[in-house]
Amino acid sequence: FCFFFFQAEDGIRDVERSRGLGDVYKRQGLRICYKMAGSGYDYDVSTLSPEGKIYQVEYAMKATENSSTIMGMVCKDGVLLGTEKLIVSEMMVSGSDRRVYSVTKQIGMVITGLLPDGRCLIDRAKEESASFQKQYGIPITGKVLADRIAQFMHMNTIYLWARPYGCNIIIAAFDEFGGPTLHLIDPSGQCFGYFGCAAGKGRQIARNEIEKLGAKNLTCKEAAFNMAKILHKCHEEMKEKKFELEMSWICPETGMTHQMLPKDMQKEMEIRAQETLEKEAMADVQSQIMKNINICLLYTSDAADDTPCVDLGGRRIIKKKK
Amino acid sequence: MESTDRFVPVRDGTTIMAVVYDGGVMLGADSRTTEGSLVYNRVSDKIEPIHKRIFCLRSGNSSHTQKIAQLCRLYVSQLGSELEQAPPVYSAAKIIQSFIYNYKSFLSAAMICAGWDPVKGPQIYTVPLGGTLVREKIATGGSGSAYMSGFVDTHFKEGMTRKECRDFMIQSISLAMFRDSSSGGIIRLVDITKDGVSREYISHDQLPLKQPLSLIH
Repeated sequence: FCFFFFQAEDGIRDVERSRGLGDVYKRQGLRICYKMAGSGYDYDVSTLSPEGKIYQVEYAMKATENSSTIMGMVCKDGVLLGTEKLIVSEMMVSGSDRRVYSVTKQIGMVITGLLPDGRCLIDRAKEESASFQKQYGIPITGKVLADRIAQFMHMNTIYLWARPYGCNIIIAAFDEFGGPTLHLIDPSGQCFGYFGCAAGKGRQIARNEIEKLGAKNLTCKEAAFNMAKILHKCHEEMKEKKFELEMSWICPETGMTHQMLPKDMQKEMEIRAQETLEKEAMADVQSQIMKNINICLLYTSDAADDTPCVDLGGRRIIKKKK
Repeated sequence: MESTDRFVPVRDGTTIMAVVYDGGVMLGADSRTTEGSLVYNRVSDKIEPIHKRIFCLRSGNSSHTQKIAQLCRLYVSQLGSELEQAPPVYSAAKIIQSFIYNYKSFLSAAMICAGWDPVKGPQIYTVPLGGTLVREKIATGGSGSAYMSGFVDTHFKEGMTRKECRDFMIQSISLAMFRDSSSGGIIRLVDITKDGVSREYISHDQLPLKQPLSLIH
């Protein structure tokens, strides 16, 4: 890494006279406190607050909290990755805002948060994988790559001259050492392995749904439909805004390599997912209505017991004989 | 020990051999290290451990091969701790290859890397002088290997039992030691299986061919 030292003067100007800014840091204490109440401990990432927090890292995590939802699931026979992304402009070429990338033949990565930061990490992942393969002759495993990227992201949280990466990434991999693996890394450099994980705006909804789903017992094909459904569900609060999905998988259908979901399959799943969600929404509404309907008792005279039906002024009610 | 002999490189003249049998892989080597015509060490160990179930056999310039084996051990241990599993034998062989290939104009080393890993089972990889990497079921190396090639080609078969393999190797290496002046001493054997590694040596009086054939009776 190169260090840039910012020189106070570069030798072609006269010595600058003091502008009396020496007390600028003292003055900043009087400023309106931000919501996080960093108050002085949040100016750079190399400062720990008295409560033991690094506010810059927490702010970086905030960058991802309001961004597109990303999620991943380990299934019976492989791994799935997916993200929902808002269409920023009608004029943009569809598919140019990529979030899901292949790092190696059998490893895929999805990013959320500050996208340029994420793309930088994907480049780094590609470099790590290539150098690992060159040195050891075997493709890098998911766990090793996730550890290395996590270390790399963490490095940006300890030096004064760097800022944390403002993105969450999920790495899905398949290798002969660990089978199908899924790792989620956050801006602090924390990295854990998961069976199912989510990050971004809709992470709570997604996590609940993934837990309910039990993807370990589904094949990738079955789970992919569910993932489309979950991603649509996560987007429901922002229904008016147009969005599209990006999904990928590593499964026997792709020879255990990382591929984007075939476009027509994805489209078909999305249509089915939307229909299912609408039906579920209708069912919810109906069950609400049913709860409000009171059961109405019908009293008839004894004489009516012998007749198979009772006439109630225009309507015929046919009683079932016991 | 003065003058001319001092500037002759110490060489493992050598006969080295590795054979995959049913259930594991066995490595064998002679024990003579020469410095010109001086037998520098008559009980040297040319079978270097790289990892728990990975070993390599050294032939060529002793200092070069020792250094390569040491560096291979370092990188393979790093790989093992990153993977948290037994590292593949192929990776160890690849590391040896990268040294021998990239520094071939400076080095005089030919090595055989053999071992066992959970994914591919017992394996042998040869890295000769130029730096190719070849996977084989049986590999021989060193100056003595030429003298046993006839015997090896005739008698080797795949899937031998451990005892058959051991007898085959002892016989082959004895033949090589018998005729090659740069090979001699004792035969060292290392047996690598899924369950463990065992070492033994065949001392001179136990060798099948110990008496030099006399021209004059």
